[in-house]
Amino acid sequence: MRSFRYQDRNTPVHRLNPFPKLGWIISILILALVLDSPLFLLLLFLATLPLVRASRVGAEWRAFMKLALYLSGAIILINALVSSHGTHVLVELPGHLPLLGAPVITLEAILYGVAMSLRLLAIISAFALLTLTVNPDDMMLAMIKMKLPYKSVLVTSLSTRFMPTLLDDVDRITDVQRARGLEMDKGKLRQRIKSRASIVTALLTNSLDRAVQVAEAMESRAFGTGRKRTFYRDISFSPSDTAALAVSLLPGALGIFMGTHGYGQYQYYPSLSWINLTPGEWWLLGLMVLLLVALLPLAHLKQRVDLD
Amino acid sequence: MKPRYVFLAVISGLAVASFLAPVVSPSPLGILQNWGLMSIVLVALTIVAFFFEFETKATGSKEIALIGILGTVSAVVRIPFAAIPSVQPCTYLIICSGYVFGPLAGFMVGAITALVSNFFLGQGPWTIYQMFAWGLSGVSASYLRRLNPGRRGLIFFGVVWGYLFGIVMNLWFWAAFVYPLTPRTFLVSLLNSLWFDTAHAVANAIFLGLWGNKTISILERFRKRFQWQTSGPEKRAAALP
Repeated sequence: MRSFRYQDRNTPVHRLNPFPKLGWIISILILALVLDSPLFLLLLFLATLPLVRASRVGAEWRAFMKLALYLSGAIILINALVSSHGTHVLVELPGHLPLLGAPVITLEAILYGVAMSLRLLAIISAFALLTLTVNPDDMMLAMIKMKLPYKSVLVTSLSTRFMPTLLDDVDRITDVQRARGLEMDKGKLRQRIKSRASIVTALLTNSLDRAVQVAEAMESRAFGTGRKRTFYRDISFSPSDTAALAVSLLPGALGIFMGTHGYGQYQYYPSLSWINLTPGEWWLLGLMVLLLVALLPLAHLKQRVDLD
Repeated sequence: MKPRYVFLAVISGLAVASFLAPVVSPSPLGILQNWGLMSIVLVALTIVAFFFEFETKATGSKEIALIGILGTVSAVVRIPFAAIPSVQPCTYLIICSGYVFGPLAGFMVGAITALVSNFFLGQGPWTIYQMFAWGLSGVSASYLRRLNPGRRGLIFFGVVWGYLFGIVMNLWFWAAFVYPLTPRTFLVSLLNSLWFDTAHAVANAIFLGLWGNKTISILERFRKRFQWQTSGPEKRAAALP
């Protein structure tokens, strides 16, 4: 479970401003949901790999991918079972099931499931990069800089900040309850839930006192009196960051263009055909990959500029 | 114009446009028929609308501190229960928070739970659907209060939200990855997670049945003690109207 969180490494990707990374995720999400063609989706997934490699979080990324593969199995299974639109019938299951009718598994449905798994893999790969390389604190700061509602972001960042503290509280309360003779892992499910819930109420009352302390601390620091707030820790926004942000949003714009003009689509049903791309579509495909990968040289460039 | 009306207009406008898209002209509005994309956009807009509402309603450090800490508590309690799959007390805590502190606080606690715990459990497109589903469970809990539900009502409510949560979470899975998009295929997608949703519903029932009233009275006492309300003493229902 530990591996699903931010990993502190010193790589160009980690050093990159959170904005371009957020923009890049949004672009991938748009592209993944707009595109339909298996070729486009495959290349979309592959285009996320250079950044993953450069950020040196391979082991943690693979843990994300394991989860994605499990979901992919569900996607392929459901599509194979529910869709009977294809013409190439592979298996005809006997009998009559509720909801499914007489299930027919077609080649088209399986290929559709595989393509949709690629869509999921691309999305999860991108989000894994976000989780693993963006420090939650930087994300909060980025949200404030984006002029998102300030109090909402403050609530969220307060909450992120208190997460480790309350985790320590949970450990302490658990130890106390054990010392008092409460056995967490014994008995039936109901018994186990019951003994664990004693942690929850203790944690709740303890934390409500913490909330009072936090409110007092905020009051004593004159929260809400000043018009313009200052920052103890700031994320800088240099011209190279602006350039990176612009570049990271371009693939998303390209995705919307392709969506509105019907590029990157593929007809799965009723019958499969060879993927015939027009020259224009080849260009779009190349452009998409190029724009997605372009964030990496920019990250290197930024690191060089910063070090100089 | 108040932000809430702008958001209402944009959300309903987009929803209507996506219905009209196939009628008017197929090519330029076609992207509005992409249900996977549209559901993400609409859900995200709804969350941002609630956040803007919180911005105007929450005035002091007390609300911010309370909601932040309640969100953290319900995010943290996902951890000791990780050993028992799908049994998570956060839904029950969010329901109790919404019940005591009102719809806006309920939504914020739910949304923060999802966002913050996923910094530690992994962010994904599911994050905004969790924010939405948990947020709405908090909102609806505050309206449940007006019915004076009692213990049985709370348990029933918990069971309903166990399944509703599953339905919301399956929505994006279905809209983005399944073809064709018909009620029948949606039901099959629901079957995919039926086991987990049932576990979630049963756990909610157990938590609300055994500790619902206790937790509510803890929060209630706290609210009275510190007067967590912004709008006059006569309005006793909630801290955040």
